[in-house]
Amino acid sequence: MSDERRNSSDKAKENDEVLQWVTFKLENEVYGINVMQVQEVLRYSEIAPVPGAPLYVLGIINLRGNVVTVIDTRSRFGLESCDVTDNTRVVVIESEKQVIGILVDSVAEVVYLKASEIDDAPNVGNEESAQFIQGVSNREGELLILVDLDKLLSDDEWDELKQF
Amino acid sequence: MAKPLAASKKVMKNYLSELLTDDPVVQERASPEIVNKAKNNAVENKRLETLLKNVNAELEIKEDEVVTQKSVQEPARKRVLVDDSVNRVKVEPLVTHKSGGDYISKTPKTYRQGDFQALFFNVAGLTIAVPLIELGGIHKVEKTTALMGKPDWFKGVMLYRDEKINVVDTALWVMPEKCDEKMKSSLNYQYIIMLSDSAWGLSAENLVDTVVLSQGEVKWLDTPSKRPWLAGLVKDKMCALLDVDALIQLLNDGSGIHQYD
Repeated sequence: MSDERRNSSDKAKENDEVLQWVTFKLENEVYGINVMQVQEVLRYSEIAPVPGAPLYVLGIINLRGNVVTVIDTRSRFGLESCDVTDNTRVVVIESEKQVIGILVDSVAEVVYLKASEIDDAPNVGNEESAQFIQGVSNREGELLILVDLDKLLSDDEWDELKQF
Repeated sequence: MAKPLAASKKVMKNYLSELLTDDPVVQERASPEIVNKAKNNAVENKRLETLLKNVNAELEIKEDEVVTQKSVQEPARKRVLVDDSVNRVKVEPLVTHKSGGDYISKTPKTYRQGDFQALFFNVAGLTIAVPLIELGGIHKVEKTTALMGKPDWFKGVMLYRDEKINVVDTALWVMPEKCDEKMKSSLNYQYIIMLSDSAWGLSAENLVDTVVLSQGEVKWLDTPSKRPWLAGLVKDKMCALLDVDALIQLLNDGSGIHQYD
């Protein structure tokens, strides 16, 4: 998380600010990303593979003349890949000053969460993917995992994406 | 009276002038031996002066050397500092060990006096006991949400009445080496055994019983060991009695069972 965003997150907690989160599903779990980082949600369209691309890159799509790199979110989260369905979506996000797409099983809704309703995830596990979790929240009896998109990729990987 | 006074004045004047012109008078009056002595003295003085100059020069050199030595000593001091830092680095593991020691150190337990009750539960054929006084509650297993990047033994987060329970896959934590795919698929967790007032819960397949144990029925492990989570062994059932506080600390630390092996 960038310092700027961390500060805003701290301020949000202090003021018990209400934040909006776009929720999506992966392997029956519900994840949330900050709505401010979401540019748009696209239906699945053909993703053109890029030869020699890293494993976490599914390929590229053409978004109104702009090339957007699509990340394999499932593999990033340590989940097995699955077939594309009618619900599959590409969420176009802006993170680390780059626009990328993340492939998700489905997009659910936009939820409002008070900062006080967000808890830290248990601080166990050293795997890189453990850092993706910004927090967890109990949303109507269902656990919502809030994702820190900035940490979805390492600095080197973000730099690598700039080359696409 | 005026003449003798004038004569005495003249004598005094001569005397004083002689006094003022002492050396030439001496030179004039001095014998060749004295002159030679004087010359020798002058030569000696010159030698002494040159010697003193040399000595001064040597002293200056020595001072320089001292300065150099000082400058040499400074790096030596630095070396010592480096050594200190190395020592500090060496100390760090000790600190870590000490923190490990804190984990291991057994705090006095209330159940270490007289009889106490313990709950026995089963996991993959293994019976585990937990002192009732350190039991936070027992819940039925509900939907557990797995979190990415967590250790295998971290089953996920289970929501229970607005509380978030960190569920431990007990079999994977207690005996990871024996947990093959076959065992994993055969596990049928039904209960969550809450550890004290923490957010941690152990998955259990079956609840066996609650039994009153006397102190003599347990082989206590009071000395620091590699297994801080183990309070003792129940002799009759030959099963582990958990040290709940130590186990909570290990789980909070994200440590597996073999952390201290």
